Amino acid sequence: MNAVEVRGLSYRYADGTAALRAVTLDVAEGERVGLVGPNGAGKSTLLLHLNGLLPERPADEPAVRVLGLPVAEPHLREIRASVGLLFQDPDDQLFCPTVWEDVAFGPQQLGMRGAALEARVARALDQVGLAGFAERLPQHLSRGEKRRACLAGLLACEARVLALDEPTSDLDPRGRRELKALLRALPVAQLIATHDLELVVETCARVIVLDRGAVVAEGPPAEVLADEARMLELGLEKPHILRHRHPH
Amino acid sequence: MPDRLLSPYHHGETVVHRLPAGAKTAAATALVVTIVVLPRGAWAAYGACAAALLLVAALARVPLRSLGRRILLLEPFVVGVAALSLLQAGGVRVFAAMLAKSTLCLCAMLLLSGTTRFSDLLRVLWRLRVPALLVTSLALMYRYLALLVDEAVRMTRARRSRTFAAGRGIAWGGAATVAAQLFVRSSERAERVYAAMCARGWRT
Amino acid sequence: MHIPDGFLDAKTAVAAGALAVAGLGVALRRVRRVLPARRVPLIGLAAAVVFAAQLLNFPVAGGTSGHLIGAVVAAVLLGASASVVVMSAVLILQCFLFADGGLTALGANLFNMALVAPLVGYGVYRLVRRVAGSGLRGTLLAAGFAAWCSTVAAAIACAGELAVSGTVAWRVALPAMAGAHMVLGLGEALVTALIVAAVARSRPELLHEPALADGWRRSAGVAAYGFLVALGMVVFVAPVASRAPDVLQRVAAELGLTPRAPALAAPFAAYGVPGVRAGAAATALAGAIGVVVAFAVAWTAARVLTRRDRASGAHDA
Repeated sequence: MNAVEVRGLSYRYADGTAALRAVTLDVAEGERVGLVGPNGAGKSTLLLHLNGLLPERPADEPAVRVLGLPVAEPHLREIRASVGLLFQDPDDQLFCPTVWEDVAFGPQQLGMRGAALEARVARALDQVGLAGFAERLPQHLSRGEKRRACLAGLLACEARVLALDEPTSDLDPRGRRELKALLRALPVAQLIATHDLELVVETCARVIVLDRGAVVAEGPPAEVLADEARMLELGLEKPHILRHRHPH
Repeated sequence: MPDRLLSPYHHGETVVHRLPAGAKTAAATALVVTIVVLPRGAWAAYGACAAALLLVAALARVPLRSLGRRILLLEPFVVGVAALSLLQAGGVRVFAAMLAKSTLCLCAMLLLSGTTRFSDLLRVLWRLRVPALLVTSLALMYRYLALLVDEAVRMTRARRSRTFAAGRGIAWGGAATVAAQLFVRSSERAERVYAAMCARGWRT
Repeated sequence: MHIPDGFLDAKTAVAAGALAVAGLGVALRRVRRVLPARRVPLIGLAAAVVFAAQLLNFPVAGGTSGHLIGAVVAAVLLGASASVVVMSAVLILQCFLFADGGLTALGANLFNMALVAPLVGYGVYRLVRRVAGSGLRGTLLAAGFAAWCSTVAAAIACAGELAVSGTVAWRVALPAMAGAHMVLGLGEALVTALIVAAVARSRPELLHEPALADGWRRSAGVAAYGFLVALGMVVFVAPVASRAPDVLQRVAAELGLTPRAPALAAPFAAYGVPGVRAGAAATALAGAIGVVVAFAVAWTAARVLTRRDRASGAHDA
């Protein structure tokens, strides 16, 4: 059973433009897959389909299955607990007055209370390296800390699939390093939509390239992203890390 | 707007900070009601209340200067309205008493917000069966206040750096546009926050 | 207009509190029923916007500046009930966090600025719009004039509360509060029109359009709000503005709430019937002039703001 299975997913915006065209992809359990493409390729739109936020009206035959379940009622509750969606803007995701409350939000919706809740939140904060940040206010955190707090909120739900939208954008080098290490340490399946091609090379086993809503390439990052001509054609570029081959 | 002005809470580990929020709110309310109900000439009682407040402030190690600064910010209106009472018989006594009472109550409330986290205050409201929509709205408002004020400052600064003519008309138009933009952006952010809440299982 | 602690007596504070709780309760229930789930976070965010907007400076003269209240802006953009909730949230936060507005006066402040202001404003807005048309010009005229009316209405309620409490004589409170706010209200009118115009220009779909269906429920809401606002005005304004008996005073005495010290009855006696009668005509005239001026200001603003649209693509500063 794959963690994520997408079969022929298509989606149109309200004004009729095609955002996704017959996208088919898989993410195995525990696998890290990068999702790259120029702006407007449909990466964020695709991620929003993984936990049922899109389409607005569920299709009769959902094109997306997560952990074997079709992404539609009556499974949505379970799916939303299993799929951790990291939004592009951490200020959209950290909507509670304190970090503790935000991390506790998910488990609370799942019915956890009391000591079990406390333990869950503490462990999640530990995992992302934010132990002691429980009473901090989100507005006082750095960008990187906000991202990690968002991740803690997803881990507290014991998400088995992480869908990450531009996780390293706006981060300073240290924030980026810390996040990268964190992603590599998490054993769950991850679909990482990003412009950070270096991140894909350093953390992902596979990369999927999206262009104008369709999958145009798929394979190991070292191969797919090394095709300089193709990369430029797609409005991307060959990552520096692949330019200078060192025997790592 | 400096962040200090927006967050009245002074972090600390004093005995006052550690008191449960419900108890502190009840105490503050009781004190305020008492002060308001005291007769106009009870200056000894006012003095006793002032002493009690100073004691709490000392115990909580709330910096008196910031407390004073906040009081000064609020005093103009107090003085202004109180001044209206000067225009009637026996006005000076009434004026002085009102000034004293208001200032004492101000201190009590400022000490409450200075030693109690707002999210704890919200929890007190929640336990008092205040409707969920109101509590959630207060929480979201508190969370995004600093962000919005920051946005407002940035937008105002950006406008000012592109405006070469001084003038009230332009200033008013600029400020109004900032307010409108704040609302439009917040509308869009509200939809994203809703998505984020649903993504983690929120049900209305 | 935030009343601090110690300016209202017990009976006024309690009465205002009861009205505020009732009104807020109605509003919360209506919002829950009418607002689609995906707009619920907007209430909290809009409250933050109103708070932030209240901090903006509108320079007046010589270094002083005015500030927006925002009740009508909220009502035009979100509807009546939502704006009641939004303004309530702002006032509650200001009271608890910044001691802006007394705790015992919270009921009165809520009544004035979270019930009277948005509801009177919204009522005037809908009425004027029906007459002047729902185009942009009509909307701006309605919003501007409604903002003036809401400010003055709130100020009158505030003056009434102060007078009924015996803190400030009505003869002083009314001209001071209402008079000042008839002028300040012009600023509110202008700023409201400017903001609504700016939103209408960039995202016209954000302006609230009342639900067409709903029939009896909407009438019930209007009736409930109308009753509460009218009741408050009768209780706080009528006894001091006329010779009507002070119902509140009598109820309070029955309930055992300590009546005011008799020493303060004297000033009222001094400002008895003759004072009121002489002042009534002058007050009415001042009010009428205020209304005319406010309407003219709103009308002019609406014309100017829409004329710039017609002269295609004009940039604002």
